[in-house]
Amino acid sequence: MKAIVDCNNFYCSCERLFQPHLDNKPVVVLSNNDGCIVSRSDEAKKLGVEMAGPYFMAKPLIEKHDVAVFSSNYNLYGDLSWRVMETLRIILGNHNVEVYSVDEAFLDLSIFPTENFPRIAKEIRTTVEDWTGIKVSVGVAPTKVLAKLANRIAKKNKQQTDCIAVLDTEEKICAALRKTVVGDIWGVGSQYAKKLKELWGIYDAWQLRNVNEEFAHKHLGGVVGIRLIRELKGIEAKEMENELVTKKMIATTRMFGSAVGDIDSIKEAVATYTSRAAEKLRRQHSAARIINVFVVAKGENHNVDFRGATHSDYITLPTATSFTNELIKPAVALVDKLYEKGKLYKKAGVMLSGIVPDMSIQGNLFLSETKNCERKLMDMIDNINFSQRDDVLKFAASGTTRDWKMRQELRSPRYTTRWNELYEVS
Amino acid sequence: MEGEEFYGAAYKGSKQFKQQDVKTANATGFGAAADDYMERGIDLNEQLVRNKPATYFFKMKSDAMQQAGIFDGDILIVDRSLKKANGKIIVAVLNGDLLVRRYHENFSSAFLIPDNDRYKPINLGEFTDFKLWGVVTYVIHQV
Repeated sequence: MKAIVDCNNFYCSCERLFQPHLDNKPVVVLSNNDGCIVSRSDEAKKLGVEMAGPYFMAKPLIEKHDVAVFSSNYNLYGDLSWRVMETLRIILGNHNVEVYSVDEAFLDLSIFPTENFPRIAKEIRTTVEDWTGIKVSVGVAPTKVLAKLANRIAKKNKQQTDCIAVLDTEEKICAALRKTVVGDIWGVGSQYAKKLKELWGIYDAWQLRNVNEEFAHKHLGGVVGIRLIRELKGIEAKEMENELVTKKMIATTRMFGSAVGDIDSIKEAVATYTSRAAEKLRRQHSAARIINVFVVAKGENHNVDFRGATHSDYITLPTATSFTNELIKPAVALVDKLYEKGKLYKKAGVMLSGIVPDMSIQGNLFLSETKNCERKLMDMIDNINFSQRDDVLKFAASGTTRDWKMRQELRSPRYTTRWNELYEVS
Repeated sequence: MEGEEFYGAAYKGSKQFKQQDVKTANATGFGAAADDYMERGIDLNEQLVRNKPATYFFKMKSDAMQQAGIFDGDILIVDRSLKKANGKIIVAVLNGDLLVRRYHENFSSAFLIPDNDRYKPINLGEFTDFKLWGVVTYVIHQV
């Protein structure tokens, strides 16, 4: 049996942990730069606050109902996410936990000697809540896809389900499939859902499960479709995965706090994002050969990204590197190419690709003396920034006057990661 | 499936180490004679943090627990995985606020008791909204 553990309104739960007076009150958390709403408590959902809606649009509703509003506090959420996952790893062992996202993990329950899955699920749920303070929902079923489906049901009606749904008999699985529309199945995108409904009259998961594999292969993306149908039937087709996959692309993109016109400021921003991306690159022991930069002017659609030819360009380096200094130079050169005088810019991004394992790690015998020195320098910068936080060491190209980080006016203290921001209790 | 037997008493703190991390344990076998007696130094995380994912730090901002040796400005180590018991110092959620007090219960009622004569005990009657947040395990006090 598989399970998925999913934190309930995760960011909101993190905020409530240190502000218990907000329990049972509406809470929302905003995205980077306080632009959109990215997490809503159940109470906020009930009021009709839209997910991913712009904050300014929801503001009248939020003020009317006295909804508590927070800027994203990623330091806090990251730490609490680690605690939830670590608790699961302690209960089940490292190999039986697959971290799927910041607030979700798949579990392999086959280690338990008992078949009493409701009891196991409850034990897991209460242990995570007791230890970390974060409330979770647990869905249990024979396969990952069905576990996801169970979890949806558990979350939908929390009072009734006690945040737990177990599909351990054929009857329960069938009932759950009949209750689930195809668009809500894990792995079925909105386009497939539309096609299924319009072309073949397949509305719910039960109907989808009963199509034959030939059909699935032809119309649902080949092997992926077959796997999906098997999973719906309770036959395992998606195994537990090793979560430590090396990323093939690393991107840092941000909206500026306010629009910027002069080229030097944009260069500073791009240098800052390049440093951040290079740090991520080094963290996974990789080096990159291709650097891609894009800029978005005011008035332009801010959904454009690295593919938009008019806004973006790339440089292929002679050899792959993970050194910030070697990456900043081409990145800044790209800004020169992309920048148009007179325009005001609101967003920029840097993407590193052509990723290979970093050969310069730990002093390579075949590298020149200077390369080994640079490696040491990067290690030193990373260590100091990691221990001191707030990027105390940075390249001069990133500038010293402006803060290119996020606008976070309503951020709560970083209670669990900063010694000088601990919760003060009386 | 009691919590204790389920997870065992294994060390769950933050310290991770390998044999190679012990400085003089080199692979050549020609280490100093003292190598036979080499062991890891004392690590406060290991001693004070028994269950890392469940351990949180707080800063005391009152003199309510002074006679228990917890002074204004002290750091509290709080373990959420421990159960409350008579006489334990806990972080409580009382009507939506966090509070540090000693927990006491008898056959008929429960109290949050300050360790300072200037403060009054709080009776956890039926009109108070009380919940355990965590159990205080250590205090760090600068002298």
